[in-house]
Amino acid sequence: MSTKPKPPNLEYPELYEQDTQPNDTTWAHQRSIWAAWVLSYCRAHRIWKLQLSDALETELFYNRNLNRRFKQRDAAELLEYMVAEGDVEWEGVGKATAIVYWKKLEEWANVIYEWIDNTGQKGSVLTLYEISEGDLTRNQEFHTIDPYILRKALDFLVKRGLAQVFGANEEMGVKFF
Amino acid sequence: MGNSSSRITAQDRRAILNMKLQRDKLHIYQKKIQTVLTREHEIAKECLARDDKSRALLALRRRKYQEQLLVKTDAQLEALEKLTSTIEFSLVEKAVLYGLQQGNQVLKEIHKEMSLEAVERLIEETDEARAYQREVSNLLAGAMTNEEEDAVEDELEALEREILGATAAPTMPDAPSTVPVSPEVQEEEEEGSGETEAEKKAKRAKERAKARREAAREGTEPMLA
Repeated sequence: MSTKPKPPNLEYPELYEQDTQPNDTTWAHQRSIWAAWVLSYCRAHRIWKLQLSDALETELFYNRNLNRRFKQRDAAELLEYMVAEGDVEWEGVGKATAIVYWKKLEEWANVIYEWIDNTGQKGSVLTLYEISEGDLTRNQEFHTIDPYILRKALDFLVKRGLAQVFGANEEMGVKFF
Repeated sequence: MGNSSSRITAQDRRAILNMKLQRDKLHIYQKKIQTVLTREHEIAKECLARDDKSRALLALRRRKYQEQLLVKTDAQLEALEKLTSTIEFSLVEKAVLYGLQQGNQVLKEIHKEMSLEAVERLIEETDEARAYQREVSNLLAGAMTNEEEDAVEDELEALEREILGATAAPTMPDAPSTVPVSPEVQEEEEEGSGETEAEKKAKRAKERAKARREAAREGTEPMLA
């Protein structure tokens, strides 16, 4: 996690301005580069949710070396594109916060199940809080995982019959098989 | 989740999950106290910087109190975790006991099948079968003439020789001693040996007719192709 990804296109400041893109194909290409950058940035900083207005002020969308930054509109469009790709999901209808899947849900499901398997926790009951915040997962990739993402990843395991989620509302537990 | 085919036992639901949830809550509570502690520390520092000793003292007192709380929650957390692991371990023990019971039962069943009488009966039956076998070969041997017996022995010998010979020295196939000829040449040679193609045909037809006549005489209908 310590290797910090570098923002793309350091040498091409114009990539920050969608308006200056000569044509749609160029933008489409750059869009995919930017999407990859967003994912690797979130992975490196373990960001599960992006607050768009805050993100515009961070290194993610604001390159202080070049003094170039994304406009809110362009960033929103980029995220919209990532939503279509399945890498991002808007939280709520306001489109102010985006849930970033820098690993696909199925991958999260596999990582978690592997950890359960490797640590001999099949058949025991864990709380969802324990998985994301517990001391045991501190060195795991999914430590501090967003509850929403965790819940959806577990659904994958439930569907495959490898886990069962029970309990109510905020007090959920899961048993792995 | 009201799943009917639930693999979640009542213990899971009531005891373990609830205890773990309590533990989580304590964890969160500890985090909160920890932040309060650092905050009070900062406040005390700020107050000292402003030369407000009594306030700094107050902050530090509050901090001490929170610290005590933290120690208490630590103890509670430990108790909870101990209880949880005791329960989990008891579940493991229960599983082991179940396994032992199963094994014991299977062992008993196997022993039941291997009762002494059954073994004796089995041996007896085997003896009877062997006696019967001997009787049968005696009978057969008595029913045969000497010549037949000789023939059988000869055959046995021949077989033995074959097997021994095969294992002793595998013989290589002989190289062909004649010059290979192509099929056309062969045919020509055959023609030259007398019958022409037409004659052969006629002969085959005659043979077939003869076979049909014989079949009819025996009263069987010729097969319809």
